Amino acid sequence: MADLDLIDIEKHFGVNWVIRKLNLRIDHGEFVVLLGPSGCGKTTTLRAIAGLEKIDSGEIRIDGKPVESLPASERDIAFVFQLYSLYPHMTAFENIAFPLRAFRMSDREVREKVKSVAKVLRIEHLLQKKPSALAGGDMQRVTIGRALVRRPKAILMDEPIGALDAKSREEMRVELRRLHIENKSTTIYVTHDQVEAMSMADRIAIMNEGVLQQVGSPTEVYSWPANLFVAQFVGSPIMNVVNCRVELADATTKVRLDGTESPFQFGGEVYRRVAAAGHDDIALGVRPEAVLVDRAERPGYLPGEVHLIEPLGAYDILDIGVGKTVIRARTESRFVTRLHQPIWVQLDKERTHFFDKKSGLALSSER
Amino acid sequence: MANLTLKNLCKRYGDIAAVRNLSLDIRDREFFVLLGPTGAGKTTTLRCIAGLERPESGEVWIGDDLVNEWSAANRDVALVFQQYSLYPNYTVRKNLEFPLRSKLRQIPVREIGLRVQKAAETLRISHLLERRTDRLSGGEMQRVAIGRAIVREPRLFLMDEPLSNVDAKLRELLRAELRQLQLKLGATLVFVTHDQVEAMTMGDRIGVLCDGELVQVGTPYEVYNFPGNTFVASFVGSPAINLFDAAMDGDKLVVVPEKFEIALQPAIRARLNEVIGPRSTVRVGVRPEDVKLIASGDIAGRLYGAEDHGVEMILTIQVADQLVRATSAATTRVPVNAPVQIAFAQDKLHFFDPETTKNLAQV
Repeated sequence: MADLDLIDIEKHFGVNWVIRKLNLRIDHGEFVVLLGPSGCGKTTTLRAIAGLEKIDSGEIRIDGKPVESLPASERDIAFVFQLYSLYPHMTAFENIAFPLRAFRMSDREVREKVKSVAKVLRIEHLLQKKPSALAGGDMQRVTIGRALVRRPKAILMDEPIGALDAKSREEMRVELRRLHIENKSTTIYVTHDQVEAMSMADRIAIMNEGVLQQVGSPTEVYSWPANLFVAQFVGSPIMNVVNCRVELADATTKVRLDGTESPFQFGGEVYRRVAAAGHDDIALGVRPEAVLVDRAERPGYLPGEVHLIEPLGAYDILDIGVGKTVIRARTESRFVTRLHQPIWVQLDKERTHFFDKKSGLALSSER
Repeated sequence: MANLTLKNLCKRYGDIAAVRNLSLDIRDREFFVLLGPTGAGKTTTLRCIAGLERPESGEVWIGDDLVNEWSAANRDVALVFQQYSLYPNYTVRKNLEFPLRSKLRQIPVREIGLRVQKAAETLRISHLLERRTDRLSGGEMQRVAIGRAIVREPRLFLMDEPLSNVDAKLRELLRAELRQLQLKLGATLVFVTHDQVEAMTMGDRIGVLCDGELVQVGTPYEVYNFPGNTFVASFVGSPAINLFDAAMDGDKLVVVPEKFEIALQPAIRARLNEVIGPRSTVRVGVRPEDVKLIASGDIAGRLYGAEDHGVEMILTIQVADQLVRATSAATTRVPVNAPVQIAFAQDKLHFFDPETTKNLAQV
């Protein structure tokens, strides 16, 4: 296994930038997810690492050595795509063994290697079946087995489970993570699905329009998003982002939403961090689970009205009108059962974010 | 608006029964979701209601009218598809006017103008009326497609996966918007989807389809908390419910084939005894939020995987040879492979017949 360095990578198609000044180091044995919407440059980045795509400038190093001059076949990297690319006339066993056949390896050795990979992937019982007899998830397991069996320096995956149904995706997430824990393969995984990124990655690299937005652990990008894009791309239901006005009075910061008379009260440091720094166009961001609600009036809470109840079984999401602003809150199931019911709302101060609307950047506190 | 009744609807394609003997009452002003995986028969059912498919047998009633012999145009229903199917060279206004200009309808020009204006206001697309539809974003296009259904003031709205083509963030917003709109219009709406989150969050009631059969009809709360069979139990809810086969052994449930034991509380045992009848085994269901990590309990395993979803952790725990899914607080920090102990919220256990897959509490 290897580490990888991407240094000042740039790529454009005509006048359109696909990747801009991308710098990212992936450590030996790390599972890094490139996350972003379609067209953000994540797949192009992955293909550049694999040697399937030329970059315009910058350098890619594997184990410290530049690989620009190496063709894809000599980079010793395995690639798994969304579509299973199995040989239909071969059994699962033969498909997995295929990359080993190029080396002079004894049958016994091949068998052992295939078996050990199959064990990790929980497909030992499927080895004699042909791809047409396998379910989608199992086919993808075989594809991954074929990528892993020759122990490449790194394994690259491009939306490998995107085509599976919801339940298989859930299972495969766990299996892929488990596989990584047991194999410690350096893995770069591309997806547009933030759930996959959050659930599998050691670190997530979030891209938008060719620009790397933030790199961090799932907890970091979720709890301390660097900008509005990351804040709203990661997490479901999405973070509430609403306009607010901020003023300082008696060492407390008063934060007013559109159409509310009473403010939410924050400590004085919020004002110093946010408004005193010269940011006048400010958005407040708060995740639904950090919106505190009560059915009875409480000091510090603002009155609101329930516009919509979205039950999700394990919990509910409420759309609450506070002044002219709508805020979504996550509550226990059946916390509120009637539309238009009055409700009182407070924000968890520790988990409330402020953003400069012009730059999109988080006006973060010291962590 | 109108209510809708389907009586013993059957539709075959060659040897395949796409819809089997489906009966359903959808109330006036109801948001009704047909939920199921690909091939369950939900789109076929919708097309039979619209008049785009002829059922082999059964009746389709809209309001007090038996409409089996009526053409699609005469049924006065509006369809919204996954593909927006707007006229790309036309402005939004022209797209909205189009369904009203039919000679059949003979709607005065002034009335057309008023209806378009009203629909545009409702959908907040008034500022886009003069724009060509190929210049719109995905969300705007979907609003126009819905607007084109609204202006007709039909008796019934039928929607087939209308949110599937938009990205996750927009889908969340459109979900809430569509539900608000339906409440505001007091519309009767039949909505087809394979996405259980859409079904749960928008429907007054959900009809779950599997292999052409309607397996359960209920509110989101009922479908989630009292699933009619194991199919519904695993199709609705994410992360999916845990299901095990287990045998009764005195006060215990023994999970087979890889054994672990669940010591049942007396009340739960009594409940199970009531429903189990002559069966020697049951299929036990427990949702991930009803599995708790505890300091010491009688189910011991090891942590197989931990997913940090920000708002909460989803843990996978290996007990004997079974993988058990649990949700826990976002602050949970347990190293992978560490030994853990779990307990089930026993009042939330579901029991199913291993043969018929039906929920024993509802048999």
